[in-house]
Amino acid sequence: MQNSNPTILSAADLPTRLRTPVTTSSVSGTGLLSSSLSTLVNTDDVFSFGKYNPDSDIESLDELTEEPIDEQEVFEHPISLGALAVVSLPDILIEPSLPSIPDSPLRTVTVLITPTISHCSLATVIGLGVRVRLEQSLPSRFRVDVRIKEGTHSTADEVNKQLADKERVAAALENGTLMGVIGKMLETCK
Amino acid sequence: MEQIHKITLLSDLTPPSLERTWLSAPHPTLPLLATCSADKTVRVYSLTNFRLLSTISGGHKRSVRSAAWKPNTKENVLATGSFDATVGIWRNDEQEDEDEGDGQDRDPEEGWAFSVLLDGHDSEVKSVSWSSSGSLLATCSRDKSIWIWEDLEDGDNNFETVAVMQEHGGDVKCVSWHPVEECLASGSYDDTIRLWREDVDDWGQVACLRGHAGTVWCVDWEGEGGGSTTTTTIPAGGNSSQISAWKEKHARSARLVSCSDDRTVRIWRRQPKDHHQQYRPSDVPSIIRPTGLEEHWDEEAVLPTAHDLSIYTVAWSKASGRIASVGADGRIVVYEEQFTTSSDDPLQTTWTVIDSLPGAHGIYEINHVAWAKRADRGKQADEEVLITTADDGSVKVWLV
Repeated sequence: MQNSNPTILSAADLPTRLRTPVTTSSVSGTGLLSSSLSTLVNTDDVFSFGKYNPDSDIESLDELTEEPIDEQEVFEHPISLGALAVVSLPDILIEPSLPSIPDSPLRTVTVLITPTISHCSLATVIGLGVRVRLEQSLPSRFRVDVRIKEGTHSTADEVNKQLADKERVAAALENGTLMGVIGKMLETCK
Repeated sequence: MEQIHKITLLSDLTPPSLERTWLSAPHPTLPLLATCSADKTVRVYSLTNFRLLSTISGGHKRSVRSAAWKPNTKENVLATGSFDATVGIWRNDEQEDEDEGDGQDRDPEEGWAFSVLLDGHDSEVKSVSWSSSGSLLATCSRDKSIWIWEDLEDGDNNFETVAVMQEHGGDVKCVSWHPVEECLASGSYDDTIRLWREDVDDWGQVACLRGHAGTVWCVDWEGEGGGSTTTTTIPAGGNSSQISAWKEKHARSARLVSCSDDRTVRIWRRQPKDHHQQYRPSDVPSIIRPTGLEEHWDEEAVLPTAHDLSIYTVAWSKASGRIASVGADGRIVVYEEQFTTSSDDPLQTTWTVIDSLPGAHGIYEINHVAWAKRADRGKQADEEVLITTADDGSVKVWLV
């Protein structure tokens, strides 16, 4: 199955934090946050970790070493994740985390990821990158919820469960090799 | 509308870690508390004056995730589990300063010596637990296995691997020994709870409890009704016949509480073996085996929904019978069990939330909750405190 977001966006049209943030009328701060969210996976280098041989902290990474990405596959997609609309603005939501407590400052940022193909083996790493970047840049009152958009990935439930597991994510942050991969993935994120 | 809360802050522990703190382990008999931090250290605090006594560092290369005090020993022995895949055993032969000293001029690492590193797990160690006798240590990991180690207590820090159990289909998040029996409970990323016992000389699974719809983050046992605590672990509101029937039922049973990513807290009960005596390895000659060690467990109750996000820890007070839960929503919830008057079954009980305190650590997630004996100057006989541990490193002591 192909990406359900059919358009390939021009890199120049993607939001970036280098520009003046677009203000929107929704929840305070949404505009600023959203514009950074879409760009954070905008990198030409995202497939480079096919070479990576991790002592994996996220299970599905193990599969990477068994199934190296062939060059054909790499050159098939010389387009950045941002341009492929792996994350698009309508798939970013900011909602109160505790609706029963109206004055609670807690907010849940939900980011839905649309993999380019339904068996994309990098979905977990991309999702982890998004989660890590958001956790590192948002104030602590935000709870980050990164998930695969429904119906776009064959093992979405499995990936979602890993990305939601606080302990696994915390352990992944302490894995230098894995963080190197994610840092590289995010390095062109402006 | 200012709600009056039953859970009130007694004190913070100072100074705290400045990084995420995962768990706080109260000492079984002394007024000491060990906390595990992402800064790779364990801090030992006094529960008498709520101040830092020692910082144990230099043993682990990554976050310390879990710690447990060895029971039944005159020494202070602490086991720690770390994301670096190892388990550390630490000893402090000197008596900790429990008096209200100023504590300022102490060497922070005084007394604590690293004694042995248990190597075996392939990835992060999530939880460690000592059996009630103190001779067995259970550890579990993201590698899906549970290891049981025997402390040979030969004065030479030797531990022997007794068993490696690999039945879980995902990370094993927690292990917890029955308060008296050598029966281990574990909770997992595979959404199940499993129970383990030794069958003559092999450890094996005796039950698998399904019901949670998400990772089981924590399990805890109900206290054994023996000794002086018998009267206090009875549900509230019972008459004398209910109470004696309750005690009798409990003598032949056991209960576990569990909490999960599915935002529920569940109670499980082991059904008495009516036709076979309760299995005790020493009771049976090895040739004549009981007709299987399988235990029958039922889900007895789902506690009232009180959390909006994942529930990370649940703690069953061995003194009062109350249950406390904490999680990602920053709430502390305390539940109490009462006899149901309207039911036909005189032993039917219901659980009610006696307090739910939101934002107990401000905006931060609460990773752990534990009950401990109150030890500060204001204590009354047998009074308990709740200790909560949060993502910002803060550890707070509460009265209920």
